[in-house]
Amino acid sequence: MDIIPQLLVNSLIAGSIYAIAGSGLSMTYGLLRILNFAHGHFMMVGAYFFYLTSVEQGLNYPAAGAFTALAMLVVAVLSLKIFIMPFRRYSTMLPFVTTLALSAILEALVSIVFGVNVKSLGSGLGMTSYEFLGVFITPIQLIIIVSSLVLMTVLAFVVHATSVGRYIRALAENSYAAESLSISQMKVSFWIFTIASLFAAFAGILAGFETNMQPTMGNAYTIKAFAAMILGGLGNIWGTIAGGYILGLLENLSIGLDFWGYSLPAGYKDAFAFVIIVVVLLFKPQGLFNRASRQA
Amino acid sequence: MDYIIHLLILICIYLILAQSFNLIFGLGGLFNLAHVAVYAIGAYTTAILATEYNFGFYACLIFSALLAGLLALMIGEISLRLSHDYFAIGSLAFSAVVSALLINWKSLTRGVLGIPGIPRPELFNLDFNNIRNFLWLAALVALFSQAALYVIFRSSYARSLRAQAEFELAALALNRDTRLIKVFSFFIASCFAGVAGSLFAYYLNYIDPSSFSLGEMVSILTIVVVGRPGSFAGVMISTLILTAVLPEGLRFMKIDASILGPMRQMLHAVILFIVVYWNRARLFPVERVV
Amino acid sequence: MLLAENLEFSINGLQILNRVTFKVRSGETVGIIGPNGSGKTTLFNCISGFNIPNAGKIVFKGQDITEMPAFKRAALGLGRVFQNLGVFREMTVLENIVVAIEGRQPLAGTFWPWSRRNRENQKQALSYLKEVGLAGRAGDKASSLSGGQMRLLEIIRTLAFGADLFLLDEPTAGVSPKMKDDVAHLIIRLQRMQKTVLVIEHDINFIQKFCDRIMVLDVGRVVLDDTPENIRNNELLHEIYFGAGKEQENSSR
Repeated sequence: MDIIPQLLVNSLIAGSIYAIAGSGLSMTYGLLRILNFAHGHFMMVGAYFFYLTSVEQGLNYPAAGAFTALAMLVVAVLSLKIFIMPFRRYSTMLPFVTTLALSAILEALVSIVFGVNVKSLGSGLGMTSYEFLGVFITPIQLIIIVSSLVLMTVLAFVVHATSVGRYIRALAENSYAAESLSISQMKVSFWIFTIASLFAAFAGILAGFETNMQPTMGNAYTIKAFAAMILGGLGNIWGTIAGGYILGLLENLSIGLDFWGYSLPAGYKDAFAFVIIVVVLLFKPQGLFNRASRQA
Repeated sequence: MDYIIHLLILICIYLILAQSFNLIFGLGGLFNLAHVAVYAIGAYTTAILATEYNFGFYACLIFSALLAGLLALMIGEISLRLSHDYFAIGSLAFSAVVSALLINWKSLTRGVLGIPGIPRPELFNLDFNNIRNFLWLAALVALFSQAALYVIFRSSYARSLRAQAEFELAALALNRDTRLIKVFSFFIASCFAGVAGSLFAYYLNYIDPSSFSLGEMVSILTIVVVGRPGSFAGVMISTLILTAVLPEGLRFMKIDASILGPMRQMLHAVILFIVVYWNRARLFPVERVV
Repeated sequence: MLLAENLEFSINGLQILNRVTFKVRSGETVGIIGPNGSGKTTLFNCISGFNIPNAGKIVFKGQDITEMPAFKRAALGLGRVFQNLGVFREMTVLENIVVAIEGRQPLAGTFWPWSRRNRENQKQALSYLKEVGLAGRAGDKASSLSGGQMRLLEIIRTLAFGADLFLLDEPTAGVSPKMKDDVAHLIIRLQRMQKTVLVIEHDINFIQKFCDRIMVLDVGRVVLDDTPENIRNNELLHEIYFGAGKEQENSSR
């Protein structure tokens, strides 16, 4: 039973990444009604931009981070203008298909430029484990947990204490308003999408440090971000963040604990998110934290 | 010449796969991203039955079709409970679960190592290791499948399927059990996908989970979208073009082998995007209300 | 033919139908009028089976259909014409009729596309189209028809289906004045065939020509149920539609 503290820490690490990724997806779907299938691929692209600048070009982390943010801005704007905006007013399903195509294109481009082999961002900020209260944790993992909490705090501040945040909350109350936006509101939507993409990139970089990265990682992360969102309730940003941590917890508990002598092989960890989606959609489509709304 | 035969065999397999997806998505309006999962079940069923249990060709074909159809019943049930965009995500997640099972249930599927040594069928004392003979077999199966699907496309059942796709309430008002109609479309289409999977396993003699990825599903989707969803002839033509002409075109451009896969994937995605853009007003019609 | 008893339906706390009770005899034509939001379409939805009432009973042809699945009610002969036009726009005009004719035939007979049954159905479908002057458009996609033509198509489709009770939801909505007469004539032909018809309408002048009775719905209640002449002269009706004061406040919910 003394593996539980370690499991909990591991859950926190994974959960942090999912929470950041999920919150970005929740922003775009909950507020803008855009089903961005390429969200996980944005994570992947962010990780690879960071890899390009920090590992291949040898820039220091702040510089690499700035460049990655700028590059992600460009990617986000182009994706919005080409793959999403022309299709939004016809159906909510169309952006799903076009972002599906976008994800395939991003994956192919990265495969061509960087190759398909697994890479890692780690090595640098110390991969040495420190023991703390019986739990092993590396500085990077600590940074992951702390940075995600900082990000969430900043997000909370923005959403609840600024005028932009007021608009966001109004939009969350009535997301159908998102479908008939005036020009000035378009700009805010553009910023929401961009910020969500930056969140994704950041989550991708964290994932690149914590585990590893390859061009095909986008799919799994998109589905996991979706799982967090569906767990927490669509459009509910805080629910999604909670959902991200819950997902991290479920994943690690499932493989870490013994259930009457049987423990799930590690490979099934990823499948958990997928099963969650199917099960939750079937029994509680509004997520764990939303009130059920009666369908006509 | 052998390469052309190889392409023709692939066309046979994809004709079955695409046209069956056309039934669910083109006629039925159901965005089922788990079609590649039932394709995988068909392939793995044949692979396991042929290698472990020495089942013959007919038995493998039938079991592949049936098991794929059975899995499809689950997907169909899921579709009844979810709205369109939720079902897209749900079917995708379902597909991912199947994929995870294929990778991790090592005792059954050997995981990422895949199942090698699938023997070619033994029929009529013909040597199907000769790919010309195998082409005849594949073409026969494909022909039969296309004929059967054509009859289905023109049948009164298809009219019911199209009616519920366009306006479910009006279909109900015309005595159509839309739930049964939807689930049946999943079942019959997936049986055909299982057959395609069986052919695929017999042809490659080796299968592993990587052939049944999301990228593969996108390819199937691209073929049907390009050929126009619901159009039987259109999907036949687009299968031909996208399966045969395109790889040939890539070869002419002398693309380096290591990036051939990603190039193909990107090309399909770009084509999908362009065709979706052209048809963006018609592809996902707004749900009709009372 | 049709009996509704104390039907209640509410959604999200809003009461849409409030103890609605009425009877329709076989062969009768009953008009249903009332302000927007009075629950007329919801009433039809409950009868058709698209909404299940919270309370009350619906009896059709002697059978309790309150909880029966919608398609089974259709099989009993309950037809529906939709407010927003329910023709299948992606099908041809002919196919719209064929799909209705097939609705009450066993699947086995019609499955094979080139069977004799199919050819007979197509011939029959064509004759139905002739009755509404659409035979020449048989091969065109239904989306190419005008609003009035679509309405005629939908009504004749319901007849081809073999419905005995016709629920017509605002049949003149989106129909040009010229074609309103055609719609009226079609409804009168249904009457001559002893069909039972319920018509929701806003155009009182239109329906009073052929209705045996008119029901007035307001805020989910049946407030009047009488012959057209009596309805026209009724003060309460004027208050509901044009009035001021309490009735106006109630009906604006």
